[in-house]
Amino acid sequence: MKNLLEHMGIEPGRLHFSWISSAESTKFVEVAKQVTEATLALTSKEKKYMKTKPKVA
Amino acid sequence: MSEKEPKIISFLCNWCSYGAADLAGVSRMEYPSNIRVIRIPCTGRMSPKFVLAAFRQGADAVWVSG
Amino acid sequence: MTSYTDKIREISKRLLKEGKVDMVIGFAKGSVPMMHQPMFAGNAGDVDRFAWDGNCGINLANYVTDRKEKIGIVAKGCDARNLAVHIVENKISRDQLYIIGVPCTGMIDRHKITARVPGEIEALVEDEAGKTVTVSGAGFSETFDRADVLQENCALCMHRNPVIYDELIADEVPEQSEKEVDRYAAVRKVEEMSPDEKWAYFEDLLSDCIRCYACRNACPLCYCPTCFVDESKPQWVGKSVDPTDIRIFHFLRAYHCAGRCTDCGACVRSCPMGINVRALTKKLEKDCLENFGWEAGLTTDQRPPLDTFKPDDPEQFIK
Repeated sequence: MKNLLEHMGIEPGRLHFSWISSAESTKFVEVAKQVTEATLALTSKEKKYMKTKPKVA
Repeated sequence: MSEKEPKIISFLCNWCSYGAADLAGVSRMEYPSNIRVIRIPCTGRMSPKFVLAAFRQGADAVWVSG
Repeated sequence: MTSYTDKIREISKRLLKEGKVDMVIGFAKGSVPMMHQPMFAGNAGDVDRFAWDGNCGINLANYVTDRKEKIGIVAKGCDARNLAVHIVENKISRDQLYIIGVPCTGMIDRHKITARVPGEIEALVEDEAGKTVTVSGAGFSETFDRADVLQENCALCMHRNPVIYDELIADEVPEQSEKEVDRYAAVRKVEEMSPDEKWAYFEDLLSDCIRCYACRNACPLCYCPTCFVDESKPQWVGKSVDPTDIRIFHFLRAYHCAGRCTDCGACVRSCPMGINVRALTKKLEKDCLENFGWEAGLTTDQRPPLDTFKPDDPEQFIK
């Protein structure tokens, strides 16, 4: 999935996968931070997959 | 919240990461507030449709965790 | 090619007369050139309409899904692989099928030929040796080297001979080897691009799409009772020709075929706009081969990679 999304031109930082057990709250917080940072680095760019208003009505 | 704050849709497994998120909450840990949690019964419920639907409706990123 | 046709007719006639099958699915000449259509022969009288040449590009495995009858089916390499996929996915049982295997040397690309001639094509003739193709229409007649006008997937095909069959109609043709053809050159070219270039590449590729779903309907893998594009509760994807929705449709359709696609080219062939839909499925085929060592439809006793779990599956992408 990630491979094909990136193949179609979405940036690598937009889709994340992880494994966290219910006892690993610290890992959760850590990964949450990583994910946010990766996304923040991209926010300046447009959201490519977002549905926009049709250009021609 | 300013326009610049990204929205991250996270799909968390009820039994794993959702538990971890809950534990993080009761332990009063701090983590970024950009994460919007959707609880799924199991990561096996995850479908590529969900990811595309999230992006389509304006998510900045998607995070799947089991 | 006429020997192929005769042999197909002969075998079909025999099968139907002996009552071994209830019908035989094969190809018949279409109403326009280069568009052979599937034909279902229910009695021995029909079999004389069967034909075989370089225009039999559609995938007949598409027509056996969930059938209850005993079926004889004409199958080239890719059809046979798709039949194997059907058998693995319980869409038909092996006992129901009598597979008439056809060693194949590739199908002619109608988009390529149409682009090279000045007018409407009225006839297409292949020479017996299978070397050249002559097309003619009002005021023109041109001969092409057959190798130049093959469908791209056929030119890159590694499995020209049927993988499962009950009877072969001719001797096996030589297979191409990994050394002769580079299957994934086009995919690698895209892989090397930056995200923005890739985005632009696919934007351009899919810009002609009119959402007719011909690719979906021609595909033997697309047998879901309700396709995700037709679902409205929830509605996953818009129904118009909006670029985002087109992209989501093609993305998800390709992804549904991951690990199942045999690169038969039916989607590309059926596309009225000539979009190379294979740009997506080929990438997934490459990933399956690299990550799981898997090629679809080569065996009927192994589950496809996306519905099995192995402890040694590669999972670098998981944090």
